[in-house]
Amino acid sequence: MKKELLPKISRRSFLKTSAGITAASGLTVLPMAKKAHGATSGGLATLIDLSLCDGCVDWEMPACVSSCKTINKDVIPEPVNPIPQPWPRKTIEDWSKKKDVFNRLTPYNYLYVQKADVETEDGKRTVFIPRRCMHCDNPACATICPFSANHKMKNGAVVIDYDLCFGGAKCRTVCPWAIPQRQSGVGVYLQVLPDFMGNGVMYKCDLCHERLAEGKLPGCVEACPRKALLIGPHREIFALAEERAKQMNGYIYGKTENGGTSTLYVSPVSFDLINKALIKKPGEPDMKPDVQRRMVKTDGPGRIVLASPILGAAAGLIGAFKWFSRGKGGTKGGEKDND
Amino acid sequence: MTEKIWEEKGLVVRHNFLELLEHWAIALSGFVLIITGLFQMPLANRYYISSLPGLAWSGDFIISLNVHYAASAIFVAAAFFHVIYHGILGERGMLPQKGDLKTSITVVKSFFGKGEEPPFHKYLPEQRLAYIGMIFIIAMLIISGLVKTYKNIYAPDLSEGIVFLATWVHITFFILFVLAFIGHMAAIILKPNRPMVRAIFTGSVRLDYARHRHPLWVAELEGGRKIPATVEPAVEEISEETVEAETVKTSTEPEMLLQKKADLQEADESEDLYAETQEEDVGGTDKTSD
Ligand code: SF4
Ligand code: SF4
Ligand code: SF4
Repeated sequence: MKKELLPKISRRSFLKTSAGITAASGLTVLPMAKKAHGATSGGLATLIDLSLCDGCVDWEMPACVSSCKTINKDVIPEPVNPIPQPWPRKTIEDWSKKKDVFNRLTPYNYLYVQKADVETEDGKRTVFIPRRCMHCDNPACATICPFSANHKMKNGAVVIDYDLCFGGAKCRTVCPWAIPQRQSGVGVYLQVLPDFMGNGVMYKCDLCHERLAEGKLPGCVEACPRKALLIGPHREIFALAEERAKQMNGYIYGKTENGGTSTLYVSPVSFDLINKALIKKPGEPDMKPDVQRRMVKTDGPGRIVLASPILGAAAGLIGAFKWFSRGKGGTKGGEKDND
Repeated sequence: MTEKIWEEKGLVVRHNFLELLEHWAIALSGFVLIITGLFQMPLANRYYISSLPGLAWSGDFIISLNVHYAASAIFVAAAFFHVIYHGILGERGMLPQKGDLKTSITVVKSFFGKGEEPPFHKYLPEQRLAYIGMIFIIAMLIISGLVKTYKNIYAPDLSEGIVFLATWVHITFFILFVLAFIGHMAAIILKPNRPMVRAIFTGSVRLDYARHRHPLWVAELEGGRKIPATVEPAVEEISEETVEAETVKTSTEPEMLLQKKADLQEADESEDLYAETQEEDVGGTDKTSD
């Protein structure tokens, strides 16, 4: 977990291209971001520049991953022993003996660097891709959480409340990249009916929202020696991503995917090719371009629900009006006269 | 509101077609909401419900949410219709009255063989209390559900406090709703109440039953319809229902007047609003007519 070595090279030219922006993306942008409200336009966004990331190949562990691990090393309490066996489906996910794993997402590892050997027209090219939660604009993982343990904050961060999560893993199911990871044997479910309800707690990157609140940068952003990770106000980061993509004649990922996210990858290699080079495995997401926000299919029915009070009330008004007009206009003159 | 004595058939009309429709819209959609609400928990996969034939969809959160939404639309619209329509018509027969609490205790005791039950109006006092309780539960479910729906579509970053509150109100009142449903089923299983069950399917009860148990109601129906100063005198209406050809409207106000005179404060209430049932229950209940 140390990053004592300096990265081998610092290709200054690259840093220069990103010029003042890199500087601006430092702490200076944060005060603005803190004032901002609204998930999409006012919140924060991050930029991950794949032309800059070299995967920290000379390091024991990539600097960003190492920093994330250090910051979050005490997040998960020691799981109970033995971990209760859920009934009737007996799935237990226990990573507590494999805390050091850093080549995939685990409950103890919220960020990992993927390596993709991409076949381009100009031959083979290796791309390194830091992967973590995308902090989506309308995150199904959060809205669909039955206990509202997962929430999108005003600053854009999608944060799981580990004290409230039951570990049902619904969030992982609806996330196109299956980002949240489960640790069984910890969390509030142990206090309720551990054999029958819940199965641990889901963990993922929280954008270091506590550090952000203190005016600090997320650990990974701060640690990256190549400034491949930037954070700033949504609008600025989006503009910057466009600019860089244009400069390198490259591509953007995360702008439309899953209905829009707060994480933009910029790459000189197309994400279609990158995705082809990746194999989706548990804890190792792919990069399918234009992956759909599955909840989109529920928006229509949901809008009908929102309209239903008005529809019901209108029907009631019309019905009552008819009732009165029929009574008044009726030839029988009201039944009080006849019985 | 469409009550009428039907001497030839030995029946009293208790609910009109519209009221039955409201009841069953709420009941059936409410039942679907309970089931699909549980599927959000998420238990369908864990408990292998999604492995059952025909229930594979239960493990798919998108589909089960859509079924939940579809049922909500019916449930919410029916609830709003009910309150607005009957509110404007000034029908207050189902709202609790003074003394209902005390009287209903007497009634419940009588179910267990302790004492006699007092003569009733159209509704039992506990029906009126249950009705208002159910209105409250449903209102909370609807408000919290609408907030959650709005959040899902338009505002995932709605204030965390509001989302949290809506979620837990929804869960709490879901539990109360299930308990109220069980209570409702228990109430119709009680022997003295069974003759009332047919009303929620056919709209009418037996006249002999009504004379025996709801004498105040029958007296009012027989005594003609004196309409006190309500907005509008009761008006006749033909219900389109197949079973009961036509029915007569009365206002609830006279019920109250009569009751005061009779020095009795029980009226009763059949809430159409909140039953959720299975059809079988009733089939055998009484075959006197029809
Ligand atoms: S990437 Fe997945 S876990 Fe992260 S906010 Fe989006 S849907 Fe949720
Ligand atoms: S933002 Fe924080 S939690 Fe998320 S990957 Fe970076 S260091 Fe880890
Ligand atoms: S993002 Fe930065 S720290 Fe992380 S692997 Fe790439 S170069 Fe290293």
